[in-house]
Amino acid sequence: MNLRKYLTLTRAGIIEALQFRLSAFVMFVGNILYLIVVYFLWKAIYASAGTDVVNGMTFSDTLIYLVLATALYSFTEMYTVWEIGRAIQSGKIVLDLLKPMEYRSYLFWSYSGSFVTNFCTTFLPTFLAVCIVTHGAVPLGINLLYFAVSVVMAIIINYSIDFMVGTVCLFTESIWGINIMKQVIVLLLSGATIPLAFFPETLRRVAYFLPFQSIYNAPLTILLDGSARPETVLPVLGLQLFWCVFMVLLSKLFWKASLRQITVNGG
Amino acid sequence: MSAMIEIKNVTKEFKVLNRREGLKGSLKDLFSRDYKTVRAVDNISMTVEQGEIVGYLGPNGAGKSTTIKMMTGVLEPTSGEILVAGNVPYQNRTQNAQQIGVVFGQRTQLWWALPLIESFRILKDIYRISDEDYDSMLKLYQSLVDIEPLLHKPVRQMSLGQRTLSDILAAFLHNPKIVFLDEPTIGLDVSMKANIRTLIHALNEQKKTTVILTTHDMGDVDALCRRIVIIDKGKMLYDNDTEHLKRFFGSYRTLKIRVSGNLKEHAEQIGRKLPECTVSADDEWISVLVDEEKQRVMDVLTQLQKDYRIRDMQLEEISTEDVIKKIYEEGVE
Repeated sequence: MNLRKYLTLTRAGIIEALQFRLSAFVMFVGNILYLIVVYFLWKAIYASAGTDVVNGMTFSDTLIYLVLATALYSFTEMYTVWEIGRAIQSGKIVLDLLKPMEYRSYLFWSYSGSFVTNFCTTFLPTFLAVCIVTHGAVPLGINLLYFAVSVVMAIIINYSIDFMVGTVCLFTESIWGINIMKQVIVLLLSGATIPLAFFPETLRRVAYFLPFQSIYNAPLTILLDGSARPETVLPVLGLQLFWCVFMVLLSKLFWKASLRQITVNGG
Repeated sequence: MSAMIEIKNVTKEFKVLNRREGLKGSLKDLFSRDYKTVRAVDNISMTVEQGEIVGYLGPNGAGKSTTIKMMTGVLEPTSGEILVAGNVPYQNRTQNAQQIGVVFGQRTQLWWALPLIESFRILKDIYRISDEDYDSMLKLYQSLVDIEPLLHKPVRQMSLGQRTLSDILAAFLHNPKIVFLDEPTIGLDVSMKANIRTLIHALNEQKKTTVILTTHDMGDVDALCRRIVIIDKGKMLYDNDTEHLKRFFGSYRTLKIRVSGNLKEHAEQIGRKLPECTVSADDEWISVLVDEEKQRVMDVLTQLQKDYRIRDMQLEEISTEDVIKKIYEEGVE
């Protein structure tokens, strides 16, 4: 496989992202505001609960989890859905389809540059800040390696879901409502806004059987699990791998079918 | 010479939902299965040889873009066969993409935020252009246009002309066998149009690239094409060299004059005096269509000046639309 044509897109993405310094700054401020809201919300929840431990998590456990979830979100979120929607509505997709590369990979690699920049500008600083402030509440060991593997799979699953939702725009010609619905479902069921431990028993069990928890819950659980025993980590990674393969195949099939819609009926 | 593009009896139909009017109609449309079939391209055949520049003309909505999309592989024909450089484009889109270059006048394939040279580097890697080919291509570009100031300018800061020029260079970068140019000179000033025509002409000469050019600008056709194909309402009207068409637009000119008084009445009078010409009037102008093979425009003007005080005048070349109208009315031969 010739990696060069993909990596050149990553490189372009990095350069492109660096052109928009102000946008990175605004995103940073937005994240801080969000975290302040989260802090006071959960402080109130723990105060009204009257105990130090709710659903097996202390206040600082919850907060560390949510801070890292937010950082992970701004690191892995690609806004693919908007991009595809816009490309379809403006007709730019025709030019993208005429690149000698599969559209799915073309779009993914075009975005990959933003992973690199977002990792450096949001996730890494947040992670270091959490480590320093909490004096070692985040274990630093082999779990970091597992975490890295887990994040890569999370990104692929997230992308595949986004790509499918974006493709729906071909049929609906509008993307706003669908994307909002997708975001609510993914953010809730993935454990990005509320740790899965706080879900009612039935909902939690349902969430574990869905692909979404592999996006945020799985990597964060692995990161915060200091013991990092293979027998606890491997099932989580295995489940992720299953969803990874499943979602990639599904989005591939869905794209193939949708592409027929374009070629037969015009974009 | 081998045929670069072969199109045989190609037809393309779209299914379109019959939309109803008003709020009630829109609500009904949500559940409607009432489709009608629109035939955008109707039984078109043509063969294009290597190195040709073919002007592909027709009024808006004639089916030009649909045909081009079929040749590039974005659309699949409803029936008929297309071969582009030996490929069936919609079946091997990725392979086909390697052989073709595309410029849509209204859109850019360049990376908006980056300097042009970065877009070139990306394209170099995507199309897997070797270092030697890339360097020699840039050298060729350098010799044709002054690209040095463009290379380091972000695309979003470029003027429309510079951007179109850059887009054309980008489309030729991987030395494709065929380049499709969809209205490349739209909205450009006269000197930029001339630059772009010279560039296309030179690249076609040097690289023997086949060019399919759609345009509404007869200047483009005059400067570049030896052969033109005209379609309207999806049907092919004309496929021959430009010389044949010259008599339809070359010898006809429209003389427009502005006089005071009732224009309609004046137009009728003029029509009676000049039986060779077609005279019509709108709110501002009286238009006199003159066939220069029978009558010189200057003579007509002198004659008109005797009878009227002409306050303003314009001389217009006949437009593509008029040519097509004439072809419709009189036939080609």
